[in-house]
Amino acid sequence: MDRRHFIKLTAISGTTAALTACGNPEHQLIRFIPEDDLVPGIATWKPSICPLCSAGCGVIARVMEGDAEVFRNGQPGVIRMGLAKKLEGNPEDAISQGKLCSRGQAAIQVTYHPDRLANPRQRTGERGSGQFADISWDEAIKELIGQLDALVAANDQASLALLTKPRRGRRLDLLAQWLQRFGAKAPVTFELFSDDVLRRANEISFGAAQLPTLDFEHARYVVSFGADFLGTWNSSVAQSAAYGRMRQSGPGGRAKLVHADARLSQTAGNADEFVAIKPGTDGVLALGLAHVIIANNLRPANNAGRSGAAIEGWAGGLAAFTPAEVEKKTGVPAATVERLAKEFAAATPAVALVSGAPLAHSNGLFHALAVNALNALVGSVNVPGGVTFIPQPGPAVATRALNEILQGAAPKVLLLDDVNPVFASPAASKVAEALKRIPFIASFGSFVDETSAMADLILPGHSFLESWVEAVPESGSAKAVAISAGPVMRPLFDTRPTMDVLLQVSRQLAKPLAPALPNTFEEYLNSDRAGASKDAPLRYDTGASKDAPLRYTDPLFDGDAAQFPYHFLPYASQTLSDGSTAHLPWLQEIPDPMSSAMWCSWVEINEQKGKQLGIQQGDVIEIASAHGTLRAPAFLNPGIAPDAVAMPVGQGHTNFTRYATGLGVNPIGILSPAVVADTSLLAWSSTRVKITRVSGPDQSLIMFGGATRERPDETHGRGDEH
Amino acid sequence: MAFPSRKTAGAWPNWALAFLFLVTLATAACEFASPGQPSGMADRSRWGTSAVLTPAHATAGDAITAFFDSRPDTIAQPFDFSHQIHLSKGAVCTDCHTGVEQGPRAGLPSVNTCMICHSQIATDRPLIQQLAKMQEQGLDLNWNRVYDYQPQAHVRFNHAPHIAAKVACATCHGNQQEQTVARRAVNMTMSFCVNCHKEKQASNDCLTCHY
Repeated sequence: MDRRHFIKLTAISGTTAALTACGNPEHQLIRFIPEDDLVPGIATWKPSICPLCSAGCGVIARVMEGDAEVFRNGQPGVIRMGLAKKLEGNPEDAISQGKLCSRGQAAIQVTYHPDRLANPRQRTGERGSGQFADISWDEAIKELIGQLDALVAANDQASLALLTKPRRGRRLDLLAQWLQRFGAKAPVTFELFSDDVLRRANEISFGAAQLPTLDFEHARYVVSFGADFLGTWNSSVAQSAAYGRMRQSGPGGRAKLVHADARLSQTAGNADEFVAIKPGTDGVLALGLAHVIIANNLRPANNAGRSGAAIEGWAGGLAAFTPAEVEKKTGVPAATVERLAKEFAAATPAVALVSGAPLAHSNGLFHALAVNALNALVGSVNVPGGVTFIPQPGPAVATRALNEILQGAAPKVLLLDDVNPVFASPAASKVAEALKRIPFIASFGSFVDETSAMADLILPGHSFLESWVEAVPESGSAKAVAISAGPVMRPLFDTRPTMDVLLQVSRQLAKPLAPALPNTFEEYLNSDRAGASKDAPLRYDTGASKDAPLRYTDPLFDGDAAQFPYHFLPYASQTLSDGSTAHLPWLQEIPDPMSSAMWCSWVEINEQKGKQLGIQQGDVIEIASAHGTLRAPAFLNPGIAPDAVAMPVGQGHTNFTRYATGLGVNPIGILSPAVVADTSLLAWSSTRVKITRVSGPDQSLIMFGGATRERPDETHGRGDEH
Repeated sequence: MAFPSRKTAGAWPNWALAFLFLVTLATAACEFASPGQPSGMADRSRWGTSAVLTPAHATAGDAITAFFDSRPDTIAQPFDFSHQIHLSKGAVCTDCHTGVEQGPRAGLPSVNTCMICHSQIATDRPLIQQLAKMQEQGLDLNWNRVYDYQPQAHVRFNHAPHIAAKVACATCHGNQQEQTVARRAVNMTMSFCVNCHKEKQASNDCLTCHY
């Protein structure tokens, strides 16, 4: 640009500014009378609960006066009201301890998202097309009641199904009661990264079917088998806080963290020692450690009691798991196994944990049982610095798995409660096709996503900041926790709290549900407060388990090793999780802690393997499994096994708000629909793939930094040992 | 685009020069014509402002406007509310501008505040009847704020300590008893604040106001 152009532009923009400043009405929208009496400029902090994962972190929201665009009486306008402006961890909360993860910080964007549904909608286009027309609440509720009344009239109440997230708490209790009184079966739950394998293992090993709480703070030695406990697994805020205290050098010196995995995750990056291990063999390493401990008389085998009895060959000292055998199966050198075992037994308390990819193999249950037995062997169960379980107020509500309604008789009416199985299931599972066969689907979520686009009716709920919320965290604290909190702000739009809509429906059915349920969710929470606070003592079931001892079986992989030479390892994104938070732009914007990539998908390939194959950073790679193909840019990672490729889950949405739609690709789509043995949970780590270089960089790899800045220590393995 | 030679860059078109001259003249005229400056105030600087010409503006026009602080003194309001009438009837500032004693900002009254009195007083006036109707419909008045700071000045003002220090409202907002619709009677330049702080022996540390 030359000076002449600059002057011209300056003059033009100046004139434009002067003209637009003339009589510019600040708001074209009408203004409503404020509903609150607020002191302008003064902030108040109100408690709430983060809804973005199952940890149930207590948060506080900073509420200040502000102008908001709202819907009142079906009319858009502006109102001065108390608005939640910032979320922080609640210092009084036992789980969050005043801290909050990036997802929790970004949760504020749920309420103010520009694509949030502001009023009920009815489908006008084809199923899945996402075309809806506005309708009134009266019409919407009448439609829903009509569908439910028709089921009652046909005496077919069992054909109603409700699909929700597997979040333990009083909300799920109330949903279950609602369904039971209607005559329908238990709620159906769905979560891609479900921990049900671990719950099942804990039931077998300890008689407690729930997630463990790990006392990192007091542990002296931690061995993590694939558990990304600092990033995405379980109660990551509580775990990170405890880990921070563990690292502050207690009386016995700095505790050690060992991480075994096929890929350098965020937690692995924090570890003192990274042990590269073949996918699907983690339990073998755990039993290898147990073998050395028993063989060297560091602990007696019968220390493990019931947990040991769950493993075949435990009483005989695990003869099949000598360090040499372990090396053959896992690729971890025998000397490393010996050393880790001795360190693990010498440091007290020492604790092992497993989750994530190891449990998403056909033999997932075995790995969990093996780690449980290792913990029991060194006496780290129910002691400080070990594994404990939070006492729960009551038994968990019985739920059903999604497969039950996909493969069995299809329900006639499906209620969707903010779950997105169409996105988070392999294409081969044909979830969308199964949903198309359901005659009527009503969704209660706040956004149109791949699943709710299939709905006939959308009855959008309030955001969590506008409604009563509750959580009964399953893990993350040494003591029982049950929290509930009221709304921190008035609703912006013409939405209604989902639970209150269902309770209203229960009263207005042709044959109202009996005995009557509370009028509102608030009433239910307050009536149940006494019950929830009961600190029920945890009863460990130490008697003999009725389950037969489990024998190790090699993991089954989908795809022939010759044709599909690489393990495909999808993993939960630090920010986008299973994709359910991909619509929040702050989370898209945050660079991934390991790769620094943002707003995109990428495929992690071993650096040296990439060189061999002529693949450079950013090159477009095609990944093909027996079930589909996808293309994404390559990210060369020195910390991944040479026979594996990894991809973060979360991107690849086809219909999920303006910020997530059309970004990246969804690795879940090409997975095998195989399940973990004895469960109906997806074995998402068991697919094999082949890779082909398609072209040079296509600019789709967006990175904040240049490459991985720190490399794993050469002496401790760099993922290419096997 | 190539960098222009000196020859081509040297010539400024006449219309551009004329435009710049006009803008300068207009803004200067606005400045000197500013009415309502109470007597006894600290001297204003020649241009009445300490705002800086920075690139932190959406347009060059905005930058020029901010530099010369040429804002209109009267701000359009939903209707011609008379401060004079209300104050003469014994109302005080804090009746309607709530929050000044507790917090940083002065509140602007909603229709509900008007109707506290006007549900009883002057109910026969057409404007009051309009307000009553608005309240029935749940609609509020769209007041426009008269005083504020340019965001790039990074000034934070807190009413509460000033009220506590017994600074009269009129010191900064002019004598409202003489005004109908509120107008910018005082130009709140930095020297205006600093002089008063000096006089009252209040802190003149930068961080008192700029943070």
